[in-house]
Amino acid sequence: MSEITGRSTGSPSPAGTSPPPAAADQATPASPKLEESRAQIEAAIEQRLRQRSRRNRRIYLLIRIVSLIIVLAAWQYYGSKSTPVIFDPLTRVLGALVDLFRHQGLGAALWYSVWTFAIGYLVGVAAGVALGMCLGAYRRAEAAVGLYVYALYATPMVAIVPLLSIWLGFGVLTQELIIGLFVLFPCVVSVSYGVRNIDGDLLEVARSLRMGRASLWRHVLLPGTAPYIATGAAQGVAMGLVGMFIAEIFTQLSGLGNLLETAAQTYHTDQALAVLLVIMALGVTLRGLITLVQRKVAPWAK
Amino acid sequence: MPDRALPGAPAAAPPAAPDVAGGRIDCANVYKWFPGGIVLEDVSLTVEAGQFVCIVGPSGCGKTTLLRMMAGLAEVDHGQVSIGGTPVNGPDRRVAVVFQHFGLFPWKTVQHNVALPLRLAKTPRAEADSRVADAIRTVGLTGHERKYPAQLSGGMKQRAGLARALATAPDVLLMDEPFAAVDAQVREVLQEDLLALRDRLRQTIVFITHSIDEAITLGDRIIVMGTRPGHIVRDVLVPIEQPRTIAQVRRHPAYTDLREEIWQQLRQSAAEQAGEPVEQAGDA
Ligand SMILES: Nc1ncnc2c1ncn2[C@@H]1O[C@H](COP(=O)(O)OP(=O)(O)OP(=O)(O)O)[C@@H](O)[C@H]1O
Ligand SMILES: [Mg+2]
Repeated sequence: MSEITGRSTGSPSPAGTSPPPAAADQATPASPKLEESRAQIEAAIEQRLRQRSRRNRRIYLLIRIVSLIIVLAAWQYYGSKSTPVIFDPLTRVLGALVDLFRHQGLGAALWYSVWTFAIGYLVGVAAGVALGMCLGAYRRAEAAVGLYVYALYATPMVAIVPLLSIWLGFGVLTQELIIGLFVLFPCVVSVSYGVRNIDGDLLEVARSLRMGRASLWRHVLLPGTAPYIATGAAQGVAMGLVGMFIAEIFTQLSGLGNLLETAAQTYHTDQALAVLLVIMALGVTLRGLITLVQRKVAPWAK
Repeated sequence: MPDRALPGAPAAAPPAAPDVAGGRIDCANVYKWFPGGIVLEDVSLTVEAGQFVCIVGPSGCGKTTLLRMMAGLAEVDHGQVSIGGTPVNGPDRRVAVVFQHFGLFPWKTVQHNVALPLRLAKTPRAEADSRVADAIRTVGLTGHERKYPAQLSGGMKQRAGLARALATAPDVLLMDEPFAAVDAQVREVLQEDLLALRDRLRQTIVFITHSIDEAITLGDRIIVMGTRPGHIVRDVLVPIEQPRTIAQVRRHPAYTDLREEIWQQLRQSAAEQAGEPVEQAGDA
């Protein structure tokens, strides 16, 4: 609502600042005086837009805070009414969180999980991007291995976890491999789609410029797929976290998943909820990081 | 880029010099088939070095196909296309293409888009920089070097596309409806600029358009094509002296007649294969 009214009141000046394209395209600039006043008006409009978006951001933040307060209050209220084994109030969960940190190695578990995740994730993304590029760019590669990739993609990854532990045992390597596999597929699918959907006009331009294979990758295919790589990497975070917990619960090694499993087995609901909170925070942080990287790597793709 | 050596520049060379052929285009009995059937039938056309030729014709008559063959982007199924006396066999460094939808790389700034062909040709850095600056200045984009294509208007994008084509100082410029994607006023400005530019650069230019007005305004010569299959139906010289401006063209006594003549020609060939609507009604 406020956006709409704001825009209509501002309308006389934009009309003056953004002249018809014909004028903008004139090689000869308008008189210096006109240029100057135009610059002023442009600055004023930019300022107003900035103010408006700042105000909007403040409103959104406020809504978020209010909603958070409501949810936490509801949690506290219902938690204190229910039996401890079923559900716990926020305060007790926070207490459990502190206790876990102090005496039960939550810090170490978090560190362990983050490390395993980081290695598995990076390997998965690297392999996924490379594989996706090959599948997307070379029909022969796709003919050779596409079938297995799609078959594996269609298989719920959880199903191959037991097999992996038979082959590789219950070690860190298995965990990392599982995470890597979970990350791999969203990357492969997104990247191969991206390569295949590069603007045909640009490929023709590349051809007319007589680009070799290396130049084609460097100037066209890689930058053209960057947004898809970022998308795959972002989806990979979510999938990788799933993989991480499955791996940890399954292999019973240290880590957050194991901590969660132990708490649940012993009916320490407050501890389980506390670990869950940490896991959520981890997920949100990683997503945020990826978005940040995304904006840095492919600024032209909004 | 006024004083760079242009291998095929006819005005600079004495009339007898054989290097006049540098930008000459020869199409000899060219045929092209696509899975849907024959698209070009027995097209023969010679464009002299330094000539500005406009091609008009109904949609689907094979204009783009012919241009792509000149650019080495499409195979010639029968016959031969040569540039400067050598048969075209894939994209050639003496030929530059300006694309209808600009063909700019969205992830590169204007500067880097224009510099790309030089970079691919491994031109020394200093020389490349000055050529790029020249080309950008020539098309009037100075000050916009660091912008990405998405930050430019349509007209500016095509200026950047033109600058990229000019950066390598080609003998031949191939332009496929280069101004079709910009609005009418911008289009006139671009036409005016191309006329001025052309007078300085003297490249051989093949320019496809749907507008008869545009063809008369720009071209030394107009090729009218018919369809089913694509072939040349008329080949007229524009009797308006170069250099010229749009206003001079509009006022020229030959303008109206020529316009009418080409229009009739197009309508006639459209009628011959009834049903196909003709879109060439004079715009602008
Ligand atoms: N790759 C292709 N495969 C099959 N048919 C094609 C292909 N490219 C072009 N054609 C056909 O060839 C004919 C000529 O196409 P072309 O693009 O050269 O026409 P045009 O004169 O440039 O038309 P327009 O004015 O619409 O740009 C059309 O009938 C088109 O359907
Ligand atoms: Mg075409």
